[in-house]
Amino acid sequence: MIVATEHLSKWYGEVSGLNDVTVTVPEGVTGLLGPNGAGKSTFMKLVTGQLRPSTGSVRIFGEPIWGNPAQYRRLGFCPEQDAFYTNMTGREWIEALAGLHGMDGDSSRAAATRALDAVDLLDAADRKIGGYSKGMRQRIKLAQAIAHDPALLILDEPLSGMDPLMRRRTIRLIKEWARAGKTVVVSSHILHEIEAMTSNILLMHNGRIVAEGNVHQIRALIDEHPHRVWIRAEDPQAVARLLLSGDEVSSVKFDEGAVIVETARPDAFYTRLTSLAASGEAGAIEEVTSPDDNLQAVFSYLVKE
Amino acid sequence: MFELALGEMLWGRRAVFMAVAAAVPVLLALGLRLAFASGSATIVVNGQHLSPETMFGTAISLLYLRFIVPALGVYYGTSMIADEIEDKTITYLFVRPMRRGAIVLGKYLAYLVCVLAAVLPSAALVFVVMVPLASMGPLVETFVRHLEQIAVGIAAYGAVFVLAGVTFKRPLVGGLIFVFGWEPIAAALPGYVARLTVAHYLQGGIADGIGLVLASIGAVLLAMRTIEQREYVLEQ
Repeated sequence: MIVATEHLSKWYGEVSGLNDVTVTVPEGVTGLLGPNGAGKSTFMKLVTGQLRPSTGSVRIFGEPIWGNPAQYRRLGFCPEQDAFYTNMTGREWIEALAGLHGMDGDSSRAAATRALDAVDLLDAADRKIGGYSKGMRQRIKLAQAIAHDPALLILDEPLSGMDPLMRRRTIRLIKEWARAGKTVVVSSHILHEIEAMTSNILLMHNGRIVAEGNVHQIRALIDEHPHRVWIRAEDPQAVARLLLSGDEVSSVKFDEGAVIVETARPDAFYTRLTSLAASGEAGAIEEVTSPDDNLQAVFSYLVKE
Repeated sequence: MFELALGEMLWGRRAVFMAVAAAVPVLLALGLRLAFASGSATIVVNGQHLSPETMFGTAISLLYLRFIVPALGVYYGTSMIADEIEDKTITYLFVRPMRRGAIVLGKYLAYLVCVLAAVLPSAALVFVVMVPLASMGPLVETFVRHLEQIAVGIAAYGAVFVLAGVTFKRPLVGGLIFVFGWEPIAAALPGYVARLTVAHYLQGGIADGIGLVLASIGAVLLAMRTIEQREYVLEQ
């Protein structure tokens, strides 16, 4: 197994972040699904050796990760936090981080170009990261994770804040990496996103893995709950008007520069939203996020809270 | 790591502070020199006119060793790691195939190179501006000794505060209290209390200077060990 944890727990003082998790991650894409506070990020930080387990163990490629920096040659991590050296250009940043993998100047330049190309950021590579949009910042984080061509990728909420077209492209990219033999662990609080990448899912709630593998039943439950999507767009009224003309959307509300849509058919809705973004009919769709309250409701039901 | 840290030191938001710290003494020296030359200013202490040479020594002692060097040490030393943690960019460094101690070492060396490159030429310029050409010869030895003191001070304060930076959560305030509160008070107290300051050893003899260099190396090694073993939980 690529990643294996045994009775893994993490405590922050008296607060439990992760509770007795024993799990194995096989090759391919594994989705880590759970609402905010479920323990996804803690799990990922333990798996990437940023945190030391309170009890239990984590092994990557059969070896421990904490205090074992050689493991990072085979591991790429895309964190959730929106943190950067904003005064550097995208290219400078990726090259500098590739350099920390021991690459010389030419190799790190080539690696940076490959990674930036993969996430479709070559055009903006020589601009300061501080001037990037949220979606571009998400992509540059992905680029730094893949620049050294790792065998294992840990991606914490990588699609958050991306526009529909970039989401679709990133999902395709993740599947391509898996087809190329990489192992990808990707977290999200949106089942629809995870399902688009894999059927191998770990469901987390309150620091525990509550289910593994097939998620059809969960999917049915999710579909019973209305799904809310927040869309920031150039012209929110036009987006709302066009979305309401279909039957996927049950209601819309307006926020500052955005529209909040409720749908009971997320699959059909996202397909329609992506077509809308591609056609440009309603102007630019800049950012799409989904609050996790619908997923929270499902988890509450699952764990009989 | 050294190259990345060097870039951050030179082009990051904190570079302005270093430029100001290096430029202000030179501008002050230029102003004084012009004032002396025009005869519009004289400084008299105990009935004696203060010579430019004496003023140079005072500038080194008060301006550089008591203010600029400790201030730069606190400002950069505490921020080397603490900034990365606060900005949450430390994650990108921790997931690279290098020991965490290398992050501290690379950043400390970048700090040394940048601050030495800014402050030593600044002090040299102050010397050139304030001391008349005819008086320079006999003062060269003293001048070199001052540059050594400044260099050791930069190394020592930086090392103390990089250790503070990896050990404490908000090290800047404590650092400022140490250099601008504790050090002047301790220096004025009788007995051995002054030995609990960096400034005491900085103004001592060669043995003190060597001791301070060794202590600086020790502090950096301890900082490297601390970051290897410590877990940094980034606030969400």
